Amino acid sequence: MTGADWIDLRFHRTLYAGEAVDEAVQRYRRHIECELREHPEAWHVRLRALRPELTVRVAHELANYALGLTVQRGGPTP
Amino acid sequence: MSVPYPDIPEGLVAVDAAEAAVHMHVDAALYPLQAVYGAAYVFLDRCYVFLDRPEPGRIRVTLTARGGQADAGALRALIGEFANELLSCAWRHQITQDNRVLLETVTMQAVAGAMGAPSLDDLASFDFSDQGFDDPLGIAMSWEEKHGKKPKPPGEVAP
Amino acid sequence: MTASLELAALRPRAGTQAFFRYRPVGDRVVITNFEGNFLLLTRDEFAAYAAGTVPADSELHRRLSQANFLRADYDVRRAAERLQARRGFLHSGPNLHIFVVTLRCNETCVYCHASRANMDAVHTDMTREIAEKAVDLALRSTSPFITIEFQGGEPLVNFPVVRHVCEYAADRARQLGKTLQFTMVSNFSLMDDEKLEFLIAHRVQLCTSIDGPEALHNAQRKLPTMDAHQRAATWIRKINRRYEAMGLDPTLYHVEALLTTTKDTLPLWKEVVDTYVGLGCKALFLRPIDPFGFADRTRLRVDYPRSQYLEFYRNAVDYMLALNKRGVQVLERYAAIFLTKILRGVDPNFLDLRSPSGAGIGQLAYNYDGKVFTCDEGRMLHEMGDDRFLLGDVHTGYRDIVGHDTVRSMVLASNLDGQPDCVNCAYQPYCGTIPTFNYKNQGSIFGQMRTSAVCSVHKGIQDYLFERLTEADPDTLAAFDRWTTIRAREHFVQPVQPPA
Repeated sequence: MTGADWIDLRFHRTLYAGEAVDEAVQRYRRHIECELREHPEAWHVRLRALRPELTVRVAHELANYALGLTVQRGGPTP
Repeated sequence: MSVPYPDIPEGLVAVDAAEAAVHMHVDAALYPLQAVYGAAYVFLDRCYVFLDRPEPGRIRVTLTARGGQADAGALRALIGEFANELLSCAWRHQITQDNRVLLETVTMQAVAGAMGAPSLDDLASFDFSDQGFDDPLGIAMSWEEKHGKKPKPPGEVAP
Repeated sequence: MTASLELAALRPRAGTQAFFRYRPVGDRVVITNFEGNFLLLTRDEFAAYAAGTVPADSELHRRLSQANFLRADYDVRRAAERLQARRGFLHSGPNLHIFVVTLRCNETCVYCHASRANMDAVHTDMTREIAEKAVDLALRSTSPFITIEFQGGEPLVNFPVVRHVCEYAADRARQLGKTLQFTMVSNFSLMDDEKLEFLIAHRVQLCTSIDGPEALHNAQRKLPTMDAHQRAATWIRKINRRYEAMGLDPTLYHVEALLTTTKDTLPLWKEVVDTYVGLGCKALFLRPIDPFGFADRTRLRVDYPRSQYLEFYRNAVDYMLALNKRGVQVLERYAAIFLTKILRGVDPNFLDLRSPSGAGIGQLAYNYDGKVFTCDEGRMLHEMGDDRFLLGDVHTGYRDIVGHDTVRSMVLASNLDGQPDCVNCAYQPYCGTIPTFNYKNQGSIFGQMRTSAVCSVHKGIQDYLFERLTEADPDTLAAFDRWTTIRAREHFVQPVQPPA
């Protein structure tokens, strides 16, 4: 992650559940602008916070949420 | 910029002071994914945890301090505790695999022994329409549903 | 002092041994097998066993074979029977039902974990309606044997509900064909002759707390009149005399007293034992302090390293064994529980010392407001603001209570076959972990045994017992035999016929 305007998060398919990433994005939707892209190896989430000074923090919180949900689901999408 | 810790073999752990982050490369052959999840889950409320796969067979765990600030000592302690937790989770995972039958049998007996057989009232209140019921072999389907004559679509003429 | 075992020097070779675990104790090595048989080997004997070089015609070979430690003639059926005897408690549900009939209490105890309320807090009294629902729920248990234990606060404060539960539950149990007993844990300070008559007539087993000599007890358990010890002692003697007058065997029927070991107790091991013996008590339960309720807030004052507790324990039990040798009948409850498992091969079903623990499947705790918890410690955590161990209330269906996800989690968490350290520990067949303790002290119901105070206590006590077994002093072994002889106390079982 960088402190730049937009942040790119790469959620590897073998480590994160796609539904968990989706749900995390939905959870933080009202705080961010974002673009979602599917790649063969990973789900990419490109985001920036509506309040730019919070972009890094929101990105971290979103990623934590996605990981927590993935663990609760038992792992990545088969 | 990532710099290594002098007391840890090169390539395993690196700290990124500017980002208040520390990275650890985990050999997936030594630590099952469930162990990585177990350790990561424990740390979710203490720091930010991110997983990535730089190459097959390796997982990179990145721990970033909340608040964006942490000194080298704090980051060293953080990754040290994570490594300990990871080892503990790996061992628990191994034990669970080794003793799975024992654990499942005892748990089943304990809960079944406590619950006892359902009464007619229990069965009457049981929700058999649960959407989540998987029935790949169609066991729950009635004979008519499986083999009965299908109603003709509207407009179709009988042969 | 136990010398370490140099495994590398032993050159162990697998092949002749059946599954075993081992632990050096003194100059011996304890080995235990899957079904909980044990042997005490010398270091040389263990070395031969580990290396697979035990001569087939030797006495050691005969002992190993007889105790089912050799692969070639391992008796699976015998092992299964032993295991069944140890785990028989799995086949039925909660037998212990703790009724917290009020939080009100007239004593203030430094280590109290009951989240007591002042005497004017009548809203913390259990109502008759809730009590009846709790009885109905308790009697739904699949266990044919039910014990209802009255606790508080001080249960005598809400005596009308205690009285009602005794009458209602006895009647319901007769209708359902359940074997029912009552116990009460009380400080006795509010006892009077009328209450005692009822309790004796309804066969309620009476337990109280005695912290040791009068000065210590009164300093730790404060009444406004500062005479908590005197009051408890008076009623202990009175009740014991009543039992004797009724023709009941005093070695079997007497008031049980419980000790909570605080920092101030530790140097007074002899005085504690003498106090109990002087009161006619036949058993002491040398319980270390636990982390709930008030004790949490006064930890610095009352808590201590467990190594100090174990020193206290050894001194006290050594003294009790010396008294036994002189004909004084007194046992230590922890030792009796462990020894029953070790020597008799059966589980006395002490719910905090079994695998899996009794939380939710062996006991339930009913709070004054009708909420139901996995155990009393879970209820205390609720009073401290944590509802993790709440299962429902007295209106919740029985199967929903015991089939709750939390109960299943605690069964899994307290199964020693899934616990690091325990899987390798020689004492695993005899031991148990307490999920609520693990949660409170270590943040997880699974816990970490390497740093667990409970584990260190359990290991320390069993080390002590195996040292005594190694010495094989005839008087000590005779005392252990008495301590593990289970004698049924039929008088406390509710009669099948209602009282005239």
